[in-house]
Amino acid sequence: MSGLVLRAWLRDWRRRPLQRLLTLVGVIIGVAVVLAVDLANQSAQRAFDRSMDEVAGAATHQVLGPASGFDEAFYRDLRMAGWRDTAPIVEGPARLPDGTTIYVLGVDPLAEGPFRGTASDIGDAPVQRLVTEPGTILPPASWFRDSGPAHEARVTLEAAGGTREVTVIDRAAEREAPDAEEDRIAGGSLWVTDMATAQVLLDRLGRLDRIDVRLAEAEVDALRDALPAELELVPVESRGQAARELAQAFRINLTAMSLLALLIAAFLIYNTQTFAVLRRREVIASLRLVGVGRRAIFGVVLLEALLVGVIGTLLGALLGIALAQVLVAQVAQTVTDHFFAVAVTGVTPRPLALAAVFLLGVGLSLAAAMAPAWEAARTAGPGGSGRGGLERRARSWAAWLALVSLVLLLAGSGLIVTGAGALVGGFVALFLLIAGFVLLLPWVLVWTLRGLAVLVRGVTLPRIAVRSLERSLSRSAPATSALTLALAAAIGVAVMVGSFRGSVEQWLGQALTSDLYVVPAAPASARAGARLPQDWTADLVARSGAVSVSTGSSQEVVSDHGLVDLYVVRPHADWLEYLPLLEAEAPREPLGHRLATEDAVLVTEPFAAHHGVEPGDRLSLAVPGGQRAFEVPGIYRDYGNPSGTVLMTQAAFARGGVPPDGVGSFGLRLPDGANAEQAVEQLEAWLAEQDHAALVTRPGDIEQESMAIFDRTFAITHLLRVITLVVAFIAILGALIALQMERAREFATLRSLGLLPGGVRALVVLQGGVLGAFAALSAIPLGLGMGWLLIEVINREAFGWGMDLRLSWAEVGETVLLGVGAALLASVIPAWRMARMRLVPALRETP
Amino acid sequence: MEQQGSVEDAVLSLTDVAFAYPGEGEVLHGVDFELGAGERVAIVGESGSGKSTLLHLAAGLEAADRGEVHLAGEALAGLDEAARTRLRRARVGIVFQSFHLIPTLTVLENVMLPLELATKAGAAERRERAARQLAAVGLADKEARYPEALSGGEQQRVAIARALVHEPALILADEPTGNLDSRTGETVFALLLEQVRATGCSLLLVTHSHELARRLDRVLTMRDGILQAVDSAEAASA
Ligand SMILES: Nc1ncnc2c1ncn2[C@@H]1O[C@H](COP(=O)(O)OP(=O)(O)OP(=O)(O)O)[C@@H](O)[C@H]1O
Ligand SMILES: [Mg+2]
Repeated sequence: MSGLVLRAWLRDWRRRPLQRLLTLVGVIIGVAVVLAVDLANQSAQRAFDRSMDEVAGAATHQVLGPASGFDEAFYRDLRMAGWRDTAPIVEGPARLPDGTTIYVLGVDPLAEGPFRGTASDIGDAPVQRLVTEPGTILPPASWFRDSGPAHEARVTLEAAGGTREVTVIDRAAEREAPDAEEDRIAGGSLWVTDMATAQVLLDRLGRLDRIDVRLAEAEVDALRDALPAELELVPVESRGQAARELAQAFRINLTAMSLLALLIAAFLIYNTQTFAVLRRREVIASLRLVGVGRRAIFGVVLLEALLVGVIGTLLGALLGIALAQVLVAQVAQTVTDHFFAVAVTGVTPRPLALAAVFLLGVGLSLAAAMAPAWEAARTAGPGGSGRGGLERRARSWAAWLALVSLVLLLAGSGLIVTGAGALVGGFVALFLLIAGFVLLLPWVLVWTLRGLAVLVRGVTLPRIAVRSLERSLSRSAPATSALTLALAAAIGVAVMVGSFRGSVEQWLGQALTSDLYVVPAAPASARAGARLPQDWTADLVARSGAVSVSTGSSQEVVSDHGLVDLYVVRPHADWLEYLPLLEAEAPREPLGHRLATEDAVLVTEPFAAHHGVEPGDRLSLAVPGGQRAFEVPGIYRDYGNPSGTVLMTQAAFARGGVPPDGVGSFGLRLPDGANAEQAVEQLEAWLAEQDHAALVTRPGDIEQESMAIFDRTFAITHLLRVITLVVAFIAILGALIALQMERAREFATLRSLGLLPGGVRALVVLQGGVLGAFAALSAIPLGLGMGWLLIEVINREAFGWGMDLRLSWAEVGETVLLGVGAALLASVIPAWRMARMRLVPALRETP
Repeated sequence: MEQQGSVEDAVLSLTDVAFAYPGEGEVLHGVDFELGAGERVAIVGESGSGKSTLLHLAAGLEAADRGEVHLAGEALAGLDEAARTRLRRARVGIVFQSFHLIPTLTVLENVMLPLELATKAGAAERRERAARQLAAVGLADKEARYPEALSGGEQQRVAIARALVHEPALILADEPTGNLDSRTGETVFALLLEQVRATGCSLLLVTHSHELARRLDRVLTMRDGILQAVDSAEAASA
């Protein structure tokens, strides 16, 4: 008996393979997207953590000095004084000939033992050879795997010290070794060499960047007292605090995306699963009629939903892992751009993510199948409530949902107005508003369709199209909601990224006030640490005919807010006119005077946000001569450094002691009408004769490079946008197929009355178009609202970046077209199927 | 009783028509049948004998596997799907056992539908003609209702109005009273007959009721996949 019931239920798979397959596809895609985004997210976190661990190792504290490093003799003194658990480090980025950025870690192999065992993969490598053979370097194991047995024995590296060749130490043993999980994760951009080699590569002769130390709690003060004034003892955790926060913010944005994907996937799964059951109401009704118990029916529905859920989740997980590879590559690029991190290329799903995905795939499949099955099984015969009853209920539901949505919208707005909960509050508000808006949609859809029906009163076919959409609200509403959500996300992200991009571009235009820049020849990521001789100024003026020269150098200094980035400038006279000041205690003229003559600094907007600094506050900074307190008379806009920068004039910096020689860059202002080409040529000719490798760049080049990094950073959001759209497309395709199948009898009747196959196609496409247009138009307000929230609440809270809202109507229009296009495209298959439908079987179907 | 006439004169003619559903045995084995202009014919026969199938072939909803079907003088086999549809909507009105009204259109709109599909009549004229036809089946006061708010008998009266409104040459009716109780069935049947007479079109009616069948010009029996004239013994016993 139960075997026959099961057969009655499952035979639908053979009768309508396409529709049933769609049920499975819904689960697969939903699960895949959510899992892939989570994996990408997780890999960003791991890449970041590992990069921190590898570089810091097992140290508890670090001894740090000025940006240009400190004398290595100090390390000897320290060891002589009995501090044994110490390891000197020279470090910095470099670039391989193929453009890959690597991170060079110069160590003293003999002192390394206790520090970087497991985190990096130098544990078992032949590190002694680094000491015995000069000019050698130890690439990560993955490099050998990637380049194969035929790798070169010598590699050219481009770093702060110029372009040099080094000898690769072969790690034959490791190459053969199985692909250890640990090693695979470490990926590899950490190249280890000994200190002497690193000092040459990174232009640090006789100097160290830091000393790693392992201290017991009691020893900390003793060591601190033993340090000279220019050196600081910093706990490891405080390093990279800002970067950690930033990584957090990046992850939060990714999480927002993955939640959105989850929401859309949930729509998709719910839609396909309820349809799978609703479609077979007659089967349920007839089974009930011949006396099959409610529980037996429930059992088979449950069994099917479980099978679909489990199979779909498994396949979806596989697809998700594959998809994650694409996303991870994107994320790795972003992390490398911003944090010089090791790339994480292999990722394994977290148990928690798997549980969540399982809940989504299997749980939601079950829940979505249960509700309609319960309904159908409750009525003991055909007729009863039927589909018409269901749709009537759907319409009254729409009104209730609209009421709920009002509450959500109010709660969300309240959160924004009060600003409660900071970043988390911002996200909660965002989701309250999205949920509120989406729940309002069915109700709006009903009234829109009713209005349309009145509009096309005299024209029968459009009227049929519109009215049947309204009558199939349980189909059309979830599908439009999914599409609206995807399109709105597309608009929201476009507005956010577009505003951001525009603001950055504008800022670059303002910040780059010189006509030419002379910078060290080093990869962009290494430029911050590289230095040029200060005394070049006169020569540069002589060669270029510049009327004004500015210099700037950035360095990490210790402050009462932990390690912070300090940018020291000797600016052009009119610099403050170009600086995008957001808040200032004084007008520009006296402000400039104060910055030059008093202990005063400006901070960037992100700095103010991360450290809670306001105009009038004071900052304690380690400058030559020791720690001094600086007043903060103003805040300016800057997108250059997401963790924030402190801006100080050279005059203030040098007031207490002799600053280290060397500047990070020169800015040359040429006289009006000067020939820039010629100036560049003459500068380059002169630079070619100098010891320090340097090059001339123009603001345009810098802008281009910066915008390229910017675009890479946000490439992943574009990718996610495409993915959500694909999911929404499938949702609307499923809904349209369902809608048309349910209306097959009606279409057959129309055809028997003389409607041409082309008319049927037009009708179906019209329905798709109406749904698409509705979704696209509703997506505009929702999308703009999301964009505004992302800019004003989320990004401000997460990054501390303010930006001007920029609307690109072209992009909004594009998204609208995309939505309507997607819906029209989705209606092609059902239109084609309906037009070719065999009429007689369809006519026989019971209403 | 066979009426002689050329294929051109007949509204509908089937010559040696055979048909099988895909993957099934043959249902019709060679049906020969002709329906003259204004003629009213009933088909009876056992359930599953192929009566509905015959009507579907006549309407061009299915295509014959063998033999020829001529509708209003045109061979259906030579027409493509669109042309067959055009011919059907111009010449044929269909009444189904289960009404088949469009649930998303009002009663009046349902009746206007064939006019919109098959004629060039303007909106005002369509409305006026549909209203007149509705009045003729006694439903003038139910124009604005949706089908779900009508009784079965009323729904079938709307279906009759819809089948007749564009003045087709042929009405195909498949057990139009099959879903109605006998009294309502009788009323609806009488109405159908009256309207067919009034417009002078031909009628091919499938029914299980010999009593109703006898009220038409001719009664045929579907048996063993062919159409036979009712023999006198059967007629007498019915
Ligand atoms: N879609 C189909 N596929 C396969 N066989 C079919 C299909 N529709 C009908 N048949 C078969 O064709 C035969 C004729 O069916 P048809 O509906 O024409 O019978 P009928 O004379 O109208 O019966 P009833 O009086 O019960 O309506 C039946 O044996 C039926 O099983
Ligand atoms: Mg029949």
